This record gives sequence, structure tokens and C-alpha cells, in this order.
Amino acid sequence: MLWFEREVVGALTESPDQPLRSSVEAFVDGYLRDMPEHLRAGVAGESVLLGTYVAALRRTGRIPAGDAAALTTLVDKWETSRIGVLRSYAKVMKSMVLLAENELAPAGGA
Amino acid sequence: MADLATDVLVVGSGAGGAITAAALARAGRTVTVVEEGPWVPADAMEPFSLEEMVAKYRHRGPAGALGNPAIAYVEGRCVGGSTEINSGLYHRLPEYLAAEWRSTYAIEEFSPEALGGYADRVEAELSVAPLPGAPPPSSAALERGATKLGWRNVDFARVFSYDAQGRGTKQTMSRTMIPRAVASGATVIPECRVVRLLRRGDRIVGARCRRTHPGGGVERLTIKAEHVFVCGGAIHSPALLQRSGIWRNIGNGLKMHPTIKIAARFPHPVDHGDVPTHRITEFSPFVAIGGSISRKGDVALALADTGAPFADALADWENISVYYAAIRSDGSGRVAALRGVRSPLVTYSLSEGDMSRLARGLVHLGELLLAAGATELHPSVAGGTIVRRPEELGSWWDQVTRARATIMTVHLTSSVRMGENRARTGADSFGRVWGYSNLRVNDASLIPDAPGVNPQAAIMALATRNCDHFLAGS
Repeated sequence: MLWFEREVVGALTESPDQPLRSSVEAFVDGYLRDMPEHLRAGVAGESVLLGTYVAALRRTGRIPAGDAAALTTLVDKWETSRIGVLRSYAKVMKSMVLLAENELAPAGGA
Repeated sequence: MADLATDVLVVGSGAGGAITAAALARAGRTVTVVEEGPWVPADAMEPFSLEEMVAKYRHRGPAGALGNPAIAYVEGRCVGGSTEINSGLYHRLPEYLAAEWRSTYAIEEFSPEALGGYADRVEAELSVAPLPGAPPPSSAALERGATKLGWRNVDFARVFSYDAQGRGTKQTMSRTMIPRAVASGATVIPECRVVRLLRRGDRIVGARCRRTHPGGGVERLTIKAEHVFVCGGAIHSPALLQRSGIWRNIGNGLKMHPTIKIAARFPHPVDHGDVPTHRITEFSPFVAIGGSISRKGDVALALADTGAPFADALADWENISVYYAAIRSDGSGRVAALRGVRSPLVTYSLSEGDMSRLARGLVHLGELLLAAGATELHPSVAGGTIVRRPEELGSWWDQVTRARATIMTVHLTSSVRMGENRARTGADSFGRVWGYSNLRVNDASLIPDAPGVNPQAAIMALATRNCDHFLAGS
């Protein structure tokens, strides 16, 4: 999992429970590693571009560094973008985190 | 590098491969089955759990057919193939489709009567039965809504056996045909990927494989074979043929049942451990309505599709079930093996008619669920209206667009169509690949078009039929 993907997964995971957060990250990591190669290449390419874009936003003070909520807001915005690959990127990351967080949480948790 | 020799090599162990292996092993042939995925003990995992998804699904979850929109699809990758992860629903191929395809693709011995005979044999071999007793709440909702609206509906049988207490056990291939094949002398090699088939003239002489051992070591393996049956499913059968240099009418014409969903909230708890067995057939064959697995994670995914906040609904997830409308698509797709890459490129193009049918299916599904007593409907459409009253359903007609709808499928067929019409098919009427005397496909790839119903029964009947033909001629 690339550094920006790890950051996105961390931002999208709502639970403060550290073991659960680690399990969610491990699941998404495994899913990304096992993706068809051409799809993985596309997601990785987007992660590099978007990570660079987010870093630029932080350098210029447009979003605070280390602010998970700001990153989540950006991902939400990408999900409704007019650019299909951006929508797909946000959808994949959000779906996998949501699925894992709800399935891996102990009964009554999350 | 190790070498093995066998009479019949079966590539893949799902509905097509397992039936093939058992039929040929029982007839006294020396059969070797290679399966890319692991051999997972039948009761090792909770059905539909995340653990099962990681262990038994190809890619540990959904892959995507590229297109506008992209369509998520899932496949099994384990001994037993997709029969290990599906709902087990069983529906014979509609007779009018058999008659239509027989004519369009010039398929021999494909009369409804002949296929019915093979289906009888499959049903006698595997336990095919309806759910005993009253349906669970998620399934009863479909029946209730259909009855109120006067729509036709059916409680589908499944490939399940039920004990005296009504407890069901899905009769997956790893529980049934694979053990029967092994008992008749077949060898099953799990975690063994066929890299390519070895050709000599018009014959396949074997397969080059990579076998992963439990410790993680990878061994190259060459399996020599007199006959090869490729049964890797509608994505991976054509991909293997293409990797082996066989391209004529292979991989084009992919078909599927694109599916759109609704998360429906009820004023009472619904069940979440299994798939509803009722189906609405009022709009068949072009639109089918049914229920999906609705574990908490599935409910969360379905609720998230509109993009609206859903924390309140998710907190009430035990009252929510996920339903679908699936269409018989007149679009089509393609599977293309890429040089040096394990996974093929899959593309699919939905037609304008498909988009219209998806919208129609969504609205009909909404009508049904409201009639069944649902109080809140969350469509799998970005920005889609969360509907609480019938008069709000009309807003969905304009909202189901390529940019906004979330579409997925679990049924993939038709990538190596069968028939004597060589311009339109990749294999003859019994699955023998054109141009090769001892190479056959025997899985969902052969089905010439989307069947509009769960294809499992058609795959099993065809596989049985094609094995009979092979044994009669060899």
C-alpha cells in the first residue's frame, strides 16, 4: 500500500480502536495487492498524483497538515467528481474501508 | 521442473469443472483437476463473511469490468469455484431461450427436451430443493410485496440439502462432485495455475503450470494430457486460451446480468445470514428482482451509495435488507489477455436500452418494497433520492445515469460461445474449441447469451451433456 493510500484508509476509518484500524488497513492492503494488475496500476498512479496534489494543498495552507477530516472531505468530493476515474478511486477506497470496518468490528462495536 | 501425465486434464473445479471431473472419472478415465485457488474445508468459514471473501474470492473481493460505467464483478477462486461463494439458487434454462439459441447459433442436440433430461440428472445427483417451512422475513417481504401488487413471484429452489429440522447445507462442488470425482480416482491439485496450454498442430499436448506449495514455494509443473477441458469460468477460460495463442472468437461477446440495488429499511428486524429465495418474475426475462446478502458490511455499502449521511440508518441495520434488480443486458463485453500480466483486461459496454432497463428495474423494485412495508429506500445511485412514499419513485428515472449508478454483477457468461455457426462461436455444439481436436471448454463461457436467470443450472446441465458426448465419441 502506498503512503497516500495508507493515509486515506486511516482518514476514512472512523473507529478509534487501534486493533480494528490495523485490521482494516491490513484488509485494504491485501485487497489492493491482489487487484488485477492493470487496475492496481491505475489506482497506484492516481494515489501518486492525488498524494502530490494533497501535499501541495498542505504546503500552501489550503488544508491543515495531518487533518483527517479535511482529507475525508476531499475524498467525498472526488466521489462526486465529473471525472470517472476519480469517482472510481474514491469509491474503491471508501467501499473497502466501510466493508472492513463494519465486518471486522466486534459485535456491538463500530 | 516436475512432469505429470494424465488422460484428461480439467482446468478449474467450479460448476463446470467438477461435473466434468466426476463424470469422466466415473467412466474410468484418468482425470487430473488443477485449481488455481486453495482447497478450503467446507465448514471452515462463515458463509458470506469477510474471511470467506479473502480466502475464496479471486482478488479477495470485487474486480472491475472497465466501461462507462465500470461494473464490479466477483468470482470464486478455490476448489469448488463460484459454487462455494454463491447463493446456490437453481433455475433451469428457460425453454424458449434454448429454442432461440439453437436456431441463432446452430447448436446441435439443444432441444428443451434434451436439456431437460440433463437437468433431471443434475437434480438427482445434487440435492435441489426449496426452502422448507415459512420464508425468513427478507424473503417474505418479496412475496408480500408481489402479492399486493399482483406480480408473479417464485420461491426458487437451491442446490441445498435440508435436514429434518430444516437446516440447510449448500451442496457446493467441494462437498459433492469433487469428492465423488476423487472417489472415482481423480486427482485434484489446488493452488496450481495453468500459465498456458502446450500446442502441437491441432492438438493440445499438455499445460505449463505454476504450483504454489503450502510453505509458499513455487514449482513449475508440466502436465501432459490426451484431452484438456478448460473450465475456468467466463473470464479465465478465454484468458487461458488467448495466453495459449487461441484467439478466434475467444473472449468477445461476454455477457452478464448487470444489477442495481436498494437498501430497504423496515419497521421490524430482518434476517441477515442468508440470501432471500423469492424472486419476482413479473418482468422476466429482461428484469429480475430478488434479494442479496445483507450482512452489516453489505448494508453499509448499499447505504453509502447515495452519498447522503447514513449513520442513523446504519445504526438501525438489523431492520435493513438489500435487494436488487438484475437485467438481461443487450450490451456486451470482451476479455483480453495482456502479455506478461496475470489478470486479463475485462471491458463491458452497457447499451442505452440497458440503462433504461436498470432504471425501470429500480423503480419496480422500489414499488415492490414499499408495498411490502419498507419505510425508507436507499438506491445505489449517487445523489439518488431516499424514497419513503410511492410518489417519490419517479425521481429515480432521471437519476439512473452512467455517472451516478453503482452497477455490479455475479453472473458472467458467453465468452466462448458454442454452436455450429463458426462466424459467431468459439467452440462447437459440445464445447470443442474450433481448430483443436482435443481441447474443450465446459463452463459458463459456452452459454451463448445471458440466460436472465442464475446460470448455475444451465452450466451443470451443459457440462453433463458435453461429457456424455465426449465419452460417446472417444
